[in-house]
Amino acid sequence: MQNNATVNGMGMEDDDPVVSGSESESEEGEDVKLSEPSKTAVYNKDGLLDKLGDISWPENVEFQHKLSVDIDQEQEVDVNDDLTRELAFYTQALEGARQAFTKFQSVGLPFLRPSDYYAEMVKSDAHMEKVKGRLLAEKRKIEEAEERRKARENKKLAKEIQVQKQKERAKQKKEEIESVKNWRKQRKQSGFAGGDKDGDFSLAFEDGKAFERSSKKRPGVAPGDRSGGKTKQGGGKGGKGFDKKRKDRAYRDSKFGFGGKKGLKKQNTSETTNDFRAFNKSNFPKQKKQKV
Amino acid sequence: MGNKRKHSEAEAAVDVKKDDSAPERPKRTLLGFKNSDEDKKENDSFRVGFRNKEKVLVTCSRRISFRYRHLMLNLVDLLPHCKKDNKVESKESKGTALNELVELKSCSSCLFFECRKGKDLYLWMAKCPNGPSVKFLVNAVHTMEELKLTGNHLKGSRPILTFSSNFDKSPHWKLLKEMISQIFGTPKDHRKSKPYHDHVFVFSIADDHIWFRNYQISCPHGGAQKLDRGDLEKMTLVEVGPRFCLNPIKIFGGSFGGPTLYENPFYVSPNQIRSLDKRQKAGKYAKKVKAKTRRKMHELENPLEVDEFADMWNE
Repeated sequence: MQNNATVNGMGMEDDDPVVSGSESESEEGEDVKLSEPSKTAVYNKDGLLDKLGDISWPENVEFQHKLSVDIDQEQEVDVNDDLTRELAFYTQALEGARQAFTKFQSVGLPFLRPSDYYAEMVKSDAHMEKVKGRLLAEKRKIEEAEERRKARENKKLAKEIQVQKQKERAKQKKEEIESVKNWRKQRKQSGFAGGDKDGDFSLAFEDGKAFERSSKKRPGVAPGDRSGGKTKQGGGKGGKGFDKKRKDRAYRDSKFGFGGKKGLKKQNTSETTNDFRAFNKSNFPKQKKQKV
Repeated sequence: MGNKRKHSEAEAAVDVKKDDSAPERPKRTLLGFKNSDEDKKENDSFRVGFRNKEKVLVTCSRRISFRYRHLMLNLVDLLPHCKKDNKVESKESKGTALNELVELKSCSSCLFFECRKGKDLYLWMAKCPNGPSVKFLVNAVHTMEELKLTGNHLKGSRPILTFSSNFDKSPHWKLLKEMISQIFGTPKDHRKSKPYHDHVFVFSIADDHIWFRNYQISCPHGGAQKLDRGDLEKMTLVEVGPRFCLNPIKIFGGSFGGPTLYENPFYVSPNQIRSLDKRQKAGKYAKKVKAKTRRKMHELENPLEVDEFADMWNE
């Protein structure tokens, strides 16, 4: 500190709050300036110009030696705006390179590196590999993010479609119920002309489709057996216990059903509702007789 | 190459002489026929008359941090005409030591990276042996190792130096420009330099700081050494690094010393900044304590009146 102060030679009082932007000085690249120039600063113009004359090259040195280009800076660069600052440097470099290349061309000296000229580079191949890896990783990251975004949007869209479908389904159901009601009314009005045969059911619907249980006969599968008769075969193939099953047991299983939901088997279907064949009709008169 | 041309021209001159005067055998030397004095002068002025023999010594102080050391090594990579030397102890007498070292290495200028307190980097740029020299504070250092800087170029190809126009505004900038262009420009036909130009240095003054950038020039071309307008338009640059920003502190008349020619009137040393910052932070607690005691005193001075309705609801 002492040393610096002497080199600095400013003699600034410590309590003097002339330093601006004290919040940001911890950050690298930010720097603090005095808000007003110090009065004691030395500025020996003659000495500077004298020294410049001492060290400078002769005036008529060719461009080939100097290789320096002066580029006009259009306006003051805002230092704290990284983007514009870097852009200003970039344009300066670009303009300089263009001017230099045109000069080279006018002189007629080779300046472009031929494609078959290989030589040591400033950065090693290993380092450039790292750079490449990083670029690729970044690219991949961007792509993945893009994909995720797309998936999210798709999901949203799918949800909407799903809602739409459900609405449609509900609507259809309503319509069907309505149509059934209509049909009932009509039937009432016409005095149950069609009787209770199944065929009429299906004809009455608007779309001509019959509402019925899938009546596909599955051979060897008990009604209501949801496994599709696979219990029998699977059972046969299964463990030891099933192997020992007797043949007639297997037959009976397939005939009367084994496994699956019991409830459905015992429910009435539209066919069996009015089917009284299974009832023992002889019971009724017997009872009457007994009563009498 | 120059020698060959000299040779042939000398011969031509000899032919002319043969014509108009008595045959006088020219003396032979190792390089060919020796010319008469007039011819020699003519030839010299026709040739270069100027040869850049700049040699830069690059060193750093002891206890330099790795980042700044890497910056120095990057600069060593960029300047084929430099000589790197061992670290130098940074003390009061370093100026004379460095001057001696530069002379010993037969260099004509010096870049000395001085690291203080392991965090502040100062760069001395000096023309030896008789000045001038500049001391910079280096900010915003990015080394070439950073993966964000994706460019690459030939090691030892001569850079194109570009200066922003505000270098010509005032004498001290002019002097700095001359020094920078001498130190950073690779001499023509330097034995370690490569013949093509594929990178460009930027020196730009913004906010009274000199900003340095290094870009690779990538220019599409069809193998031939010709570019048309379109190729120039298509030229793009890729940054190679390193980056740094120089804040000039002082310019001295001699090398590493001598009369001060310029002082940056706006400069505040990082030590002062830190101490100020610390003082501000230190004041916080004292202020709090002060406020507390003041409050206490105030309360003692103005006691609250006893509230006559205080017990109203307690009955």
